[in-house]
Amino acid sequence: MIDWLSYGCIGMGLVFWFWGTSFLLSRRSVLFKLHNLSVSDTLGSIAIIFGLLLQRPREWPLLLLAILSLTLWNTMLGYVLAYCSSTDVNTRRPPNG
Amino acid sequence: MDNYVYMITALLPLAAAMLVFQVNPYHALVIRGMLGAIAALVYTVLGAPDVALTEALVGTLLAVTLYAVAVRSSLVFRLGVLQEDLSDAQDHIAPDVTPLQQVVNGLNTVFKDYHLRVELISYFDRDALQQALMNKEVHAICERGSVVEAREAIAPGVPDSSAPDSCPPPYRTTTRLRRLYDIMNSELLSSKTQLSYIDHAAAGEVVS
Amino acid sequence: MSFLNLALMAMIVALLIPLYEAWRDEDIWQTMLSLSSVSSKTAVMILLVSVLRDDWMVGVAGVIILSVGNAGFMLLAHILKRLGDS
Repeated sequence: MIDWLSYGCIGMGLVFWFWGTSFLLSRRSVLFKLHNLSVSDTLGSIAIIFGLLLQRPREWPLLLLAILSLTLWNTMLGYVLAYCSSTDVNTRRPPNG
Repeated sequence: MDNYVYMITALLPLAAAMLVFQVNPYHALVIRGMLGAIAALVYTVLGAPDVALTEALVGTLLAVTLYAVAVRSSLVFRLGVLQEDLSDAQDHIAPDVTPLQQVVNGLNTVFKDYHLRVELISYFDRDALQQALMNKEVHAICERGSVVEAREAIAPGVPDSSAPDSCPPPYRTTTRLRRLYDIMNSELLSSKTQLSYIDHAAAGEVVS
Repeated sequence: MSFLNLALMAMIVALLIPLYEAWRDEDIWQTMLSLSSVSSKTAVMILLVSVLRDDWMVGVAGVIILSVGNAGFMLLAHILKRLGDS
């Protein structure tokens, strides 16, 4: 029973991965791709790690740490990438901005 | 040995080939990061987590950052200009119309293909400018040619002479590197500057 | 062939998409996007391999890579941004 639940989680995460990564191939703007990619990558990875957690409940601290660092770093990296890549699209900021 | 090990290992030469055949140095840096991530995966799958950790921490984090700094500070074309010309260019509302800006834009388009960026360094007077060129502080200098000199240069049928309305005399770009001179001479299309090459060792000047 | 093996195969296929995107180079930021995608995907793959083999040292390495590796990419992004500004 719990095996099937974990398989469902991993499969859902894989679907998220493929769905989000397929936007990389389209010819949209970088910010659009960044939004889809960060959302789907983070959610898919969390779903996969949660599925793994159901498989090995004995090792929960490590997988919990993985989930936490994944959410924190991926959102932060998404913000940094959005900030860095959007300066040449908008009007030029003042040098200290 | 499971089947997936071979598939994961096959990713490593793929990423390495992508890195080797990449010509743009900045893209190559980013692909180096990917290669590091995949190498960490391969090392882990092959049973060496310690090597994978070292690859991720040193190979990816430290090496990519150091190389980024090195590439950024070495792939640069330093152009010395006079302070007055630069402030003159900045005072204008539309900076694209000043001749110096046109020269710099032309240089930018030429050196974009060579992945060089153009950096302007300003000096206060012409002597300091010449001295900087001689001391190898800059790769080239760009200054307003004096009026007499400019007339002289324009006189033997250079196409720019047919535009008397461009009041400021054309700039003169002097470089001390033969390769840079060849590149600029064959590809620079701006009519606002004339090019000359000065041989540092012989101190003889070749004006095109 | 267990389900986790199949999932690992699917992950390898998913990893090929950002690699292809990086090979088809257009913009440096799209390459950075595929880099972040590749790095998080490989870390999750390391975790899956650790569960598959029940080898916990591998899992620790995967978590450390996941939590430390991204900091360098932020640094790289800032350097690239300074490059575009100048």
